[in-house]
Amino acid sequence: MSNTQNHINPPKWPLKSLRFFVKKEYLEEIEGDMEEVFQDNLEQYPIKKSKRKYAWEMVKLIRPGLIKNLHGNYHLNQYGMFKNYFKVGVRNIIKYKAFSFINMFGLAVAMSVCMLIILMLADQKSYDQFHEKKHNVYRIIMQPGNHKRPYATGPIPLREALKTNYPIISEATSLIKGFGGDAVYNGSYAEMRGFFTDPGFFRMFDFKLAQGDESTALNKPNSLIINRKIAFQLFGDEDPLGKTIDFSDRGIDVFTDEGRAPVDWGTYTVTGVLADDNYKTHLNFDVLVSSASLEHLYKEGKIYNASTNWGDYSRCYTYVLVRDNVNKEELNDVLEHLSVASYRDSEKLKHSIFMAQPLTKITPGPVLGNELNSTLPLFAYYILAGLAFVIMIFACLNYVNLSIARAVTRFKEIGIRKVNGAKRKDLIFQFLSESMITALLSLVLGIVLLFFLKSAFLNLWINQYLNFELSANINVYLIFLALAIVVGVIAGIFPAIQLSGYKPVKALKNLGSITIGRLGIRKTLTVSQFVVSLLFIVTSIVGFNQFKHFMEYEYSFNAQNVVNINLQSNDYRLVENALSKVSGISGVTGCAYYPATGRNDNTYIRKTASDDPVEAIDLRVDENFINVMELELIAGKNLPPEGPNASSYVLITERTAKALGYEHPGDIVGELLVERGEKEIRVIGVVEDFTFSLLFLKQIMRPVVLRNEPDKFNFASVKVTSDNQDQIITQLKENWKKVDPIHPFKYELYEHKLASYNQGIFDLVSVIGFFAFLAICIACLGLLGMAIYTTERRTKEIGIRKVLGADGVKLTYLLSREFLILLSISIAIAAPLSYFFNNFWLNFLVVRVEFGFGTVVLGSLLLLLLGLLTIGPQTLRVSGRNPVDSLRDE
Amino acid sequence: MKKTKLGEFEELVLLTVVVLQEEAYGVEIKRELEERLNERLSVGSIQSALKRMEQKGFLTSEFGEATKKRGGKRKRIYSATPYAHRVLTEMKDVRAGLWASMPKLAYDLKII
Repeated sequence: MSNTQNHINPPKWPLKSLRFFVKKEYLEEIEGDMEEVFQDNLEQYPIKKSKRKYAWEMVKLIRPGLIKNLHGNYHLNQYGMFKNYFKVGVRNIIKYKAFSFINMFGLAVAMSVCMLIILMLADQKSYDQFHEKKHNVYRIIMQPGNHKRPYATGPIPLREALKTNYPIISEATSLIKGFGGDAVYNGSYAEMRGFFTDPGFFRMFDFKLAQGDESTALNKPNSLIINRKIAFQLFGDEDPLGKTIDFSDRGIDVFTDEGRAPVDWGTYTVTGVLADDNYKTHLNFDVLVSSASLEHLYKEGKIYNASTNWGDYSRCYTYVLVRDNVNKEELNDVLEHLSVASYRDSEKLKHSIFMAQPLTKITPGPVLGNELNSTLPLFAYYILAGLAFVIMIFACLNYVNLSIARAVTRFKEIGIRKVNGAKRKDLIFQFLSESMITALLSLVLGIVLLFFLKSAFLNLWINQYLNFELSANINVYLIFLALAIVVGVIAGIFPAIQLSGYKPVKALKNLGSITIGRLGIRKTLTVSQFVVSLLFIVTSIVGFNQFKHFMEYEYSFNAQNVVNINLQSNDYRLVENALSKVSGISGVTGCAYYPATGRNDNTYIRKTASDDPVEAIDLRVDENFINVMELELIAGKNLPPEGPNASSYVLITERTAKALGYEHPGDIVGELLVERGEKEIRVIGVVEDFTFSLLFLKQIMRPVVLRNEPDKFNFASVKVTSDNQDQIITQLKENWKKVDPIHPFKYELYEHKLASYNQGIFDLVSVIGFFAFLAICIACLGLLGMAIYTTERRTKEIGIRKVLGADGVKLTYLLSREFLILLSISIAIAAPLSYFFNNFWLNFLVVRVEFGFGTVVLGSLLLLLLGLLTIGPQTLRVSGRNPVDSLRDE
Repeated sequence: MKKTKLGEFEELVLLTVVVLQEEAYGVEIKRELEERLNERLSVGSIQSALKRMEQKGFLTSEFGEATKKRGGKRKRIYSATPYAHRVLTEMKDVRAGLWASMPKLAYDLKII
């Protein structure tokens, strides 16, 4: 039909889809009807509405009677066929119990591991999902020009700049660090830490207040919102709203307990109580303070004023809410513009750039500096998922292997089905339905296993930092189901294609003449399973040895029987005085922080005559430190006791002396050094080197400068005698109370603290070991299946051989030979592989365990032993059987 | 009677076909029924009823003329088979019989 001027055509895409799905023989009539109705509508309604109606009519045409059939145009009742497939499948599972068990158990184990990882991810994905505007909220992270890693924090003026200059941003809020200390109300005390923030916080995030009004709670200076726990600690059953508390800041925050001497920050009014302490969010705080309070703190000089400083990017988290329909790229463009404008003239931060991080992508997310909560970074999930994938593939390989091996028993069935007219497609479908049944049954078993696995996982040491809950919901179960179906297809497709491909005549005629991948596929699969297993075994052995090596590591200072006490901002001298009165202690020392616990403050020193500064660790300790830690003084004298000039005398380590160019440590004693280009310090003595960093870092010994400055101390360390420790600690606690009646006594054994850092490595080893265990289990199950199958098939042959005079040992060897060869090939491939792989990762460590071929041999022997244990009973049973029995049954 | 399997909506469409005679094609049936039932019907519902009845042997059809309004597509004119007439009459009789044998009491009861 040609278009006249007033002719309007129906909309294109509904017409096209109509032509696509309506049966050919009805098309002309229905298309005409639709057009006629459309033209009728045009007389009544505007064009747009008519077109809409047309589309809607089109949708309503989708009825079984009118649309094309998916499988051509014939109708067959296939129900009976499906029922038969199902029945045959179930019968096959029941008939070959051993094989079905091997398949199902392997798949179930692998699935349970996968499901655990899905649970972990689901748990992490549930963070920050309760915010209504979550899809429009971004955190602004910063990549400083002079650092490799991006920071979760940014400069304080960023919020204002974003909010005022860019119309795509409808709201911006910032969380400023630096509120942490003690609140006192009517004699009750609570330690709290949190952020300064503005009223925009509640316009962006959906935290609810149980008491108080979200829109006004943060408007006035010196008002704060607390969580329920703090409210209970401070006020008990009283109504907290409107109460005034006295707050003194100790400089603690969500990251650290180490603060400074308390400073009185005045009084604050409680204007709100959070409705829930357990929001699933990456934001982690006890208290929110109105940012209007900052003004007078700045004025009084109680907090560093960075409100206009673009160079300070470590104390403020900035979040923005963009308008609807603004995407991340547009926001990133804006941010790029802003970062160029802000840092164009800065030398240090020249190439710094701001980036948008969607709120829902924070947990799980990339590794960022100053991140607010501790979670597993995304790449850890990739590794875990990779390992789980390997296990899953193993289990699927078992299925493939056993199905192909057992194919011979099903040739008759396949042949008859084919003769009766089954197409190859139908047979593939049948075998797939069998694997699907197996996969679904495995899913049930896997979910049972998952319960055990889950509780074991939740008990790992590392979980106290990660807070996994691992609760499943309907979505997660749907994913599990999808997993089972995918596994069913993956495991079943290869055997299905293989088995359905045989010619019926051949399949029916002679079973013996058919050989399926006798040397090819099956053996390759088995070998690859054992190769990976051995890799896992050796790696976990090395990992465990490495862990033991770390635990036994000599730090060159003695951490035994040293009790570390957190000063909690009390004056060190008072605490020392009180603690030293306890009997049974052999020394008390103070320090700013501890060596080998991951923290270090840096400084730069140089010789007076040189321009070349040496980076060194700056550690404040008192004169008892080297005695308590049992460090050896190599040259010169110990630190002087506290005094007006005490902090200008320093002890350095041997390495520091070498780094400054003194071959003999004695030569540097008495020399004058320049610190940070300005301050003069005099070397008073040299001590031996000691380990300063965490053991798995690249550099564990670094130049250290020690000096006596009690104002900077955060900890007191007490060396106690090895017996009666509990009693001594009780006494220490009592004496602590005399100094500080408010704060509870916080202590830990230095030795335990050091060990706890290795605990994470132990967890890693446990995980790898667990995967190794699963891998070897599944591989052995597969081997067992193969062994059962081949030996059963050769029963008659063995019987005849026996009658003719072969002895049991020879027959056992005959039956095992094939498997032994497979195992040997696996070892031959995997041994060098695991040797190189483990050497590769060990090379990243400085403190590393000796690793030689011994471990590889041990792993190989273990593998061989397990393999023999798997096939042994089977081959022995068959070779020991009475030939009369095996020859009789036909 | 049991074997006819003529649904309520199908019966309505079938009757409309009989009523419209030479004009009995999809859109016209739709218009007529919409007017009588006083509700909107979709092309899909009419068409699927027609196709079903054609399969069951109540209707036969042939192509009619093409109009400009239909975008040059031909109409399909439906006509009822003798079998359909028989079934329709049968159903009418059954209903009439039922109405006739409804006791007066039933009305009274309804009033209460």
